[in-house]
Amino acid sequence: MEMNQKKDMIRLDNLSKHYGTKKAVDGISLTVKEGEMLALLGVNGAGKSTTIKMLSCLTKPSGGTAKVDGHDISKEQTLVKELVGVSTQDTAIARNLTVEENLNFMAGIYLDPKQYDKKKRRERVEEVLQDFKLDEVRKMKSSKLSGGWQRRLSIAMAMIGNPKVILLDEPTLGLDVLARRELWREIEKIKKNRTIILTTHYMEEAQELADKIAIMISGKIVMTGTLEELEEKTGQKGLENIFVSVAEGDRA
Amino acid sequence: MNRTIQFAKRNIIELSRDALGYIFCIAFPILMLIVMSVVNESIPKEAGMIIFRIDYLSGAIIVFGQTFVMLFTAILVATDRSTSFLMRLFSSPMKSSDFTNGYIIPMILVGIIQAIVTVIASCVVSAITGTELKVAGLLLVILLSIPSAVMFLSIGLIAGSLFNEKSAPGVCSVIISVGSFLGGVFFDAEGVGGPMLKICKCMPFLYCTKVARCTIQMDFAWDNFGKSLLIVSLTALGLLCLAILTFRSRMKADQ
Repeated sequence: MEMNQKKDMIRLDNLSKHYGTKKAVDGISLTVKEGEMLALLGVNGAGKSTTIKMLSCLTKPSGGTAKVDGHDISKEQTLVKELVGVSTQDTAIARNLTVEENLNFMAGIYLDPKQYDKKKRRERVEEVLQDFKLDEVRKMKSSKLSGGWQRRLSIAMAMIGNPKVILLDEPTLGLDVLARRELWREIEKIKKNRTIILTTHYMEEAQELADKIAIMISGKIVMTGTLEELEEKTGQKGLENIFVSVAEGDRA
Repeated sequence: MNRTIQFAKRNIIELSRDALGYIFCIAFPILMLIVMSVVNESIPKEAGMIIFRIDYLSGAIIVFGQTFVMLFTAILVATDRSTSFLMRLFSSPMKSSDFTNGYIIPMILVGIIQAIVTVIASCVVSAITGTELKVAGLLLVILLSIPSAVMFLSIGLIAGSLFNEKSAPGVCSVIISVGSFLGGVFFDAEGVGGPMLKICKCMPFLYCTKVARCTIQMDFAWDNFGKSLLIVSLTALGLLCLAILTFRSRMKADQ
């Protein structure tokens, strides 16, 4: 099936978030199709994390609507929360728990006990431990893991409930180049049949991983499309040149 | 309910991995029990001072130990709030009742374990000093000290919700000092009388100590025990409701 025949898994219509007079997100509209990965690209303070927070029901929109698999994020929070796995910007792990305990805990939160008895839940945890190559550190306290391993665990925790939608907020922020590449490979693996929004300010990350890129500047989405489409629209080659031309054009 | 249990389990693991928890919640109260028993043995019998006698002291030490449950509740909640781990859980299908119950249940368990350990230590001290302790009273106090444990953990939940991980322990330390002083843990508030007793009676701490002492002595008269248990239970219930409301409102504010 072609990408454009797939259903809209995420749909934002004029979505905005204001903090007093500051417009963190200023009426953005976009759609992400089922199985597609969208990179939300922008500098710090562009409104990427606020958008993720709204989609993960952590903060209410000031205006507009957003739907995940047809469910309104303001009106059907419980349903949306069950569909979405989130990996926040900071590594959100229980630091005194081991890797395995963290995954067991999240499995207990996300997996319905009616469908997943203890045995099935354990199997799911094992599966994720293997998929993310966390087996060798399974008994290690999370606080003792390196930054790269912690990020990997954080994404594995977002995956434990087999979510339809994954929101990755700056997943490789602060990692060295090798750890980043390693994590990219993990993200590539989880792409299959899942809809992902990834926020980043690393151009090469968006270029490498995403099917579609949305450039966000000062709370607004100023351009959306595949890399080829963005190159055609701006007449620039490569994402960094595209981003600079769009950002400078916006400033002018 | 399943999510509450999962969160409670996680909190129990967190607490069990904190060495300071064992020191403050178990070792320190037991140390105070031993020290005060030594003090009691050093006081001449003619002085007629019974405050540190084991049948008086063990109830007071149970309440003293519970003040540290308050401290650890506050630290756990405030630390969770300061990390993005709690943010991640806010984005999960967990309800606010899963969070509050998940904090409360492990802390009640800690309070019960603390009471059991204090009772065992009291039996040892009693055997050494030859002071008689009523077994039924010792068993009952484990159960009847739960309302005061709920009261203290509720204060801890409020402190952890309102303050950050640096200031919450400070606030709790003040309450520990005030609570053990006005609760008559280490002095005979009713023997002192006057304005001091009036101040003590305005706070719930004295009633917590009275409930524990009266239970151990199997003195279930209304004036001493019944009234005190009612005051402690109502205060615990009120503070628990306030703690749940405070946590929920902070949950929204933190988002």
